[in-house]
Amino acid sequence: MPILEIKNAELSINNKKILKGLSLNVNEGETHAIMGPNGSGKSTLSYMLAGRDGYELDNGSITFDNTDLTPLSPDERSNLGLFLAFQYPVELPGVSSTNFLREIFNSRKKYLGENELSHLDFIKHLRKVAENLSIKDEMLKRYVNFGFSGGEKKRFEILQMALLNPKISVLDETDSGLDVDALKIVSEGVNNLKDKNNAVVVITHYQRLLDYIKPDIVHIMSDGKIIKSGDADLALYVEKNGYSEILNEKS
Amino acid sequence: MKKARNDQFFSNLEKFVDKVYPNQPQRQPYLSLKSWPSPRDEAWKFSRLGKLARKNILPLSWGNQQDFNINKLIKDSISLVFVNGKFEKKLSDKLFSEIVIEEVQIEDFKEIINKFDNLSVKNHPTLNSTLSCSQKFFKIKFKNDIKFYKPIEIFNLGGSENTSIHPFIYIDLEKNADVQVFQHYSTHAGLLTPFEIINLSENSNLEIIKIYDDKISSYNLSLTLSVIKEEANLRSFALIKGGEFTRSEMHTLLEGENSKADINGIYLSSGNQHHDLTSCIYHNVPNCKSSQIVKGVLGEESTAVFQGKVRVEKLAQKTEAKQMSRAIMLSDKAVSNSKPELEIYADDVICGHGATVGELDEDQIFYLSSRGISKQKAKVILVDAFLNEMISLSISDKFHDIIYNETKSKINKLLANEYE
Ligand SMILES: Nc1ncnc2c1ncn2[C@@H]1O[C@H](COP(=O)(O)OP(=O)(O)O)[C@@H](O)[C@H]1O
Ligand SMILES: [Mg+2]
Repeated sequence: MPILEIKNAELSINNKKILKGLSLNVNEGETHAIMGPNGSGKSTLSYMLAGRDGYELDNGSITFDNTDLTPLSPDERSNLGLFLAFQYPVELPGVSSTNFLREIFNSRKKYLGENELSHLDFIKHLRKVAENLSIKDEMLKRYVNFGFSGGEKKRFEILQMALLNPKISVLDETDSGLDVDALKIVSEGVNNLKDKNNAVVVITHYQRLLDYIKPDIVHIMSDGKIIKSGDADLALYVEKNGYSEILNEKS
Repeated sequence: MKKARNDQFFSNLEKFVDKVYPNQPQRQPYLSLKSWPSPRDEAWKFSRLGKLARKNILPLSWGNQQDFNINKLIKDSISLVFVNGKFEKKLSDKLFSEIVIEEVQIEDFKEIINKFDNLSVKNHPTLNSTLSCSQKFFKIKFKNDIKFYKPIEIFNLGGSENTSIHPFIYIDLEKNADVQVFQHYSTHAGLLTPFEIINLSENSNLEIIKIYDDKISSYNLSLTLSVIKEEANLRSFALIKGGEFTRSEMHTLLEGENSKADINGIYLSSGNQHHDLTSCIYHNVPNCKSSQIVKGVLGEESTAVFQGKVRVEKLAQKTEAKQMSRAIMLSDKAVSNSKPELEIYADDVICGHGATVGELDEDQIFYLSSRGISKQKAKVILVDAFLNEMISLSISDKFHDIIYNETKSKINKLLANEYE
């Protein structure tokens, strides 16, 4: 069953075309990896999916779970079960992490028509989930992402993913800035959430992450398009030979 | 057509003083001011009094005491109630023996005022009108070593549309006293000119929280002069939300080494309100610290200004002075100004200042919305966070929630008006 279908997406920022006819299909249960040189439009794709202002399509379509995403606001898309782990998570000074997590957790529960958790039950649940990601209580007492190290920010993104339990997660360079131990923790976190009804799209520069999060399909993105797709071996090939050969082959 | 500016108030004031205090020549020097400061006066450039000058305001005769509901913020606080600028013992709580409230004369605090003579408070409309026509001058004295676990709440009440009231209070902390004071301005006065003197003796501590919430048509021109001695610490926080025009002006003189002053504030402005936080800190001796941190949220067609001055005398080496202002504009018709002034004559000082004005951060709004929070709710969370951070930084933890709640209703109203 397809969860996400992007057809011929074209998008420009400040009159500059960034996405130039990108298509991508993701089915339930699949893990996809998108690799590509800096500036090829990977983060733009992720913002477009999340519905950021200014990232509206010029042409093409996005369907998520049989729903046309284009008219929906970011919060509506999140409620439908789309999650983006930011490449650069945003600091929210003055917003306590615990309160923030409770707010997003309960608003998702409410949307799903499930019971919200009491303060105490939520804290218990949060502790358990945080522990799996080696996130200490102390971190949750701080303001959201404020003064977090690069690695802490990435783990905090996955913590949110675990609490929201989305149908599809797009992880934008979640591996960058992580040492091997942190990479393992984060990957395990993602793998634990994976089941046959949801899907994951990881955007990465490095094959390294794909040793831990095994992709079913690997896409190479360049200049606003997906130019080649293949199985996990494609990532190994890119790791060994770089992008240039694939880029040349295309032109 | 606009009525001509006539500064009627000052001749009314003169007549009032001649009639009510015929034999008190000490009041006469404060009748020299004949008009409101003009916009050409640098100190009033961003806070214009033209509209006030066209009003015919009469000083209020006290008359009979009315009944008032006293809504304390702190359950076990000690209340001192001033109605129409007059101390009402019957409405106030009983004092403890370590606190003395006594009537004083102008001569008793003249020396303190003189210290500010050259510092632009001479001929200040608040100082002049309150010293010329306040009924009585009260000093509240906190004796040596008192550690006051119960805060004092001072309530300023009363007033009516076309009359003025002129509260005076002299807060005097003796050595090692440690006190918390709330000042409530909740009047209906057309004009009020609260004049306050603070004297902090060696090693004393005062936390003072002022809540400006007068009627929406009021002009409140509050003025505070503080003198801080060695090792003493003034922690002042102003929350401005009421009035048509509210100015909280504080002049703080650090004259003992190792003393400290934090003069912070928040303004929440809506409709056609004008809010003004003016603070001047004078570092006269070495090794003192000060901060002036102001945050504001403005909606609709409101205007606001933060004027922050720091003067560091040549002698005052090792001064640390910090200044910061930040305003969030919820409407593009609102206007916020910031006027930092640093006059530094010493060479070994650390001074930091910065000012930003802007809308809520789009990246932050997007981040919150991408987690399923509506745009409207995201804005509420961000404004809350903005104020929350400021309140945590500025006041004692035990008062945090109380002050936060005091901002809540105004913020909800501001956001509802902007985003419905
Ligand atoms: N806000 C923006 N304004 C202008 N150009 C942008 C903006 N964001 C991204 N771009 C441009 O879009 C292109 C793709 O960027 P991005 O999606 O961040 O690439 P990637 O994530 O693959 O490194 C780059 O050329 C970048 O300079
Ligand atoms: Mg990127």
